[in-house]
Amino acid sequence: MQIIIQGLLLSGLYALIAMGFTLIFSVGRVLNLAYGAYLLIGGYVYFTISQTLGVPKLIGLLLAAVVGCLVGLLKYRLLVKPLKGDHVAVEISTLILAVVLQAGVVFLYGDSSKILLPIVPGVTQVAGASVTYNLLTATIASWAILIGLYFFVRKTHVGRAMQAVSMDTKGAAISGVDPDKINMFTWGLSGALGATAGVFFASYTQLSPSMWVAPLIISVAVVIVGGIGSIIGTLIVAHIVGFMEVLAVSVIAPELRGVFTMLLIIGVLVIRPQGLFGREEL
Amino acid sequence: MNLRWTHVVMWLAFVALMFAIPEFVSKGTLRTLIFANFLAIFAISWDVLSGRTGYISFGHPFLIGIGAYTSAILTKRFDVPIEFAIPAAVVMTMIGGIIVFLPALRIKGSYFALVTLAFMELMYQLVQVIRPDLTGGTRGMSGVQTLTRGAVNGYYLSVSLMLAVALSMWLLMRTQLGTALSAVGMNEESVRGSGLSTTKLKLFAFLTSAFVAGLGGAFYVHYLGSIAPRALFDINFLFTIIVAALIGGASTIIGPVIGAFFLTFLLEYLRPYLPGAERYFIYGLIALLLYMYEPKGLIALIDKGWQRLRGAADRKETV
Amino acid sequence: MTSSLKISNLVKKFGGLVATDNLSFVVKEGQSVGLIGPNGAGKTTVFAQIMGEHRQTSGSIELFGREISNDTTPERIRRGVSRTYQVPRPFSDMSVLENIRVGLMPNNLWQMIASKPRREKETELALSVGFLESDLEKTPGELSMGDLRKLEMARTIATGTKVMLLDEVFAGLTVAEIAQITQVIQKMRKDGMTFLIVSHDLKALEPLIDHVIAINHGSKIAEGGFNEVMNDADVRSSYLGVV
Repeated sequence: MQIIIQGLLLSGLYALIAMGFTLIFSVGRVLNLAYGAYLLIGGYVYFTISQTLGVPKLIGLLLAAVVGCLVGLLKYRLLVKPLKGDHVAVEISTLILAVVLQAGVVFLYGDSSKILLPIVPGVTQVAGASVTYNLLTATIASWAILIGLYFFVRKTHVGRAMQAVSMDTKGAAISGVDPDKINMFTWGLSGALGATAGVFFASYTQLSPSMWVAPLIISVAVVIVGGIGSIIGTLIVAHIVGFMEVLAVSVIAPELRGVFTMLLIIGVLVIRPQGLFGREEL
Repeated sequence: MNLRWTHVVMWLAFVALMFAIPEFVSKGTLRTLIFANFLAIFAISWDVLSGRTGYISFGHPFLIGIGAYTSAILTKRFDVPIEFAIPAAVVMTMIGGIIVFLPALRIKGSYFALVTLAFMELMYQLVQVIRPDLTGGTRGMSGVQTLTRGAVNGYYLSVSLMLAVALSMWLLMRTQLGTALSAVGMNEESVRGSGLSTTKLKLFAFLTSAFVAGLGGAFYVHYLGSIAPRALFDINFLFTIIVAALIGGASTIIGPVIGAFFLTFLLEYLRPYLPGAERYFIYGLIALLLYMYEPKGLIALIDKGWQRLRGAADRKETV
Repeated sequence: MTSSLKISNLVKKFGGLVATDNLSFVVKEGQSVGLIGPNGAGKTTVFAQIMGEHRQTSGSIELFGREISNDTTPERIRRGVSRTYQVPRPFSDMSVLENIRVGLMPNNLWQMIASKPRREKETELALSVGFLESDLEKTPGELSMGDLRKLEMARTIATGTKVMLLDEVFAGLTVAEIAQITQVIQKMRKDGMTFLIVSHDLKALEPLIDHVIAINHGSKIAEGGFNEVMNDADVRSSYLGVV
């Protein structure tokens, strides 16, 4: 029971983390290896605003999202657009950027990791398992955001334009959608999502300059295994990854938590490169 | 192989310069240069695979790690003489190269890069839990037998190794095989359409790259005398290798060497101002700007400058 | 005359779609055959199966009397068949000569290292498809569409091919370029090369071929002399849209 509860909670968080990455991969067709850095930025912005300056937590969370969004927009304008869809160049330059941002954080906050106080303090019992309100809040928020995103993409004009660009950029452009604007929007959205996820992720683990690597790997795993750009696929695979981790930690050994995720990535990519759920478009 | 006397002269001058350096610089600088030599070897190894065939490896520390760990474990835990341990490490790394090669039969581009990244992370996590009595677990190993004492000897060994690797790769890449490998990077389908087996070519590139990585990794661990998983399977380390190759100039031999020296010294000159990991901020920014400005690297910039100096009269000729 | 290329009962299905439907034909040695049909008739799919880029669902492909269905693409090329593409695929950072060099290379790593590039042979091939001396060091970025097609032909010839499959060899070319490529093909026919040519440009195709095969929906609807096929009722209705 403990395992199921924990698996569900962790998976919800992972789904949120992976969502922003999926969006970019689906709409922009590029791998943003600096995606993990949004989580880093989000976590540290929130830390500064709410924990150091004592501003209310909700405002801290919002500001983290805003900063993430701005970084996303800047990244699109300054890196991705000038490189014009040269995938290798985008991957390499975003990897360099991630290292730069990590070093920037070390520069400002020092090398050591910091504990982020729980966003919502307290512990409760759910079906005999002790659950922190913090992780519960994270999971609920994550589900709310995912459901919101799902309807946003399906129902709104902008959402459908995103779908169109993800299917066929040229076709979308001919139909009067400006792919550049949609890309801008997606990068901003992805940044905001990443930063928000970062706040929850940091409060779940801890705040450290190298905290961006693990979420990046998780996002990569989810996107690859789930098939690109499918919100539902993302959700399902986030649960596979989350449960695998919880199982590995509680049944085998805590050190092995990431091993199965790696094996899953390698296995799926080699055996079924199109992902378990194929390439649904957004 | 189409060697010209200018090439011979340039290589002789390069070798002479590298061997004369200890006469002029301090021990501290020499230690920096040793690191640059090893970085150059790793960057050449990366370039043979990724720069040529276009299969971007984000997992090169995986290969280097196999070489370093194999040799360290053999000498420290099993008292194998170093002269057997290093060849064994190279062979193990080439087996690792085959493991990396297998996904390349089916996937390319971004997906391939991601698989190699997963290999590196997997190795990082496994090394810490599987047989920590052998690998030293999270803390790694220290007291590994070293080959040389003192900075000067260390420098001569590393520079000889680097020059040997650079020269042999340069000669190899000037053959038709080198042309064919670059062709794979430009258009793999057309290489098949020319009647050449790309599987064979890719396997060769992966094995050669692994050979160099294993050799470099093994010698590196016997220079350092210690090994730690966090330092080895690290994104910063990976980043430094890739950036050295790209900043210097991918698909050349002298490019990764120039890149490695440039980066190492950049990092070293930043040390007085920024002592810790925050150096990577400036370092990364410079790398990013250079890469965005000239994706073909320093070698292209130098070449352009040189052409301008000479009035761009003669044929372009890069080493 | 013996058969160079013999296709028998070839079938290719993509899911429910039948791209090649029980297609059989023979190209004899030294012959030049046109393969025509409307868009989506399955011409390029036939080429892809002959080259082993797609595996056929059933049926056989024989080259000089030998079944090649189980060979890889490079193996088939070594046996003497190769193709060009509708959209040329040159090696972008290599000169004209280096592009041709790749076609001339032996498929053996050791020989690749040991043997030197045959510059005279490369030059001869480049000139034979109509390049000028001044073009030899140019890179594909500096070449016109016609030049890129010539380059692809030269690299294909370099593999030592005996049967050439040309896919839309005239698409996107100027009148002068069409004339030049026509001349190159005519010369190669005289030298004994066997051709299977796909083209929409029937006027340009006519002088290059001995006979024509028309296909639609993956199956053969007519075969024979150019005029005979053009007057065939099926061909006229399906392909030319006139009755």
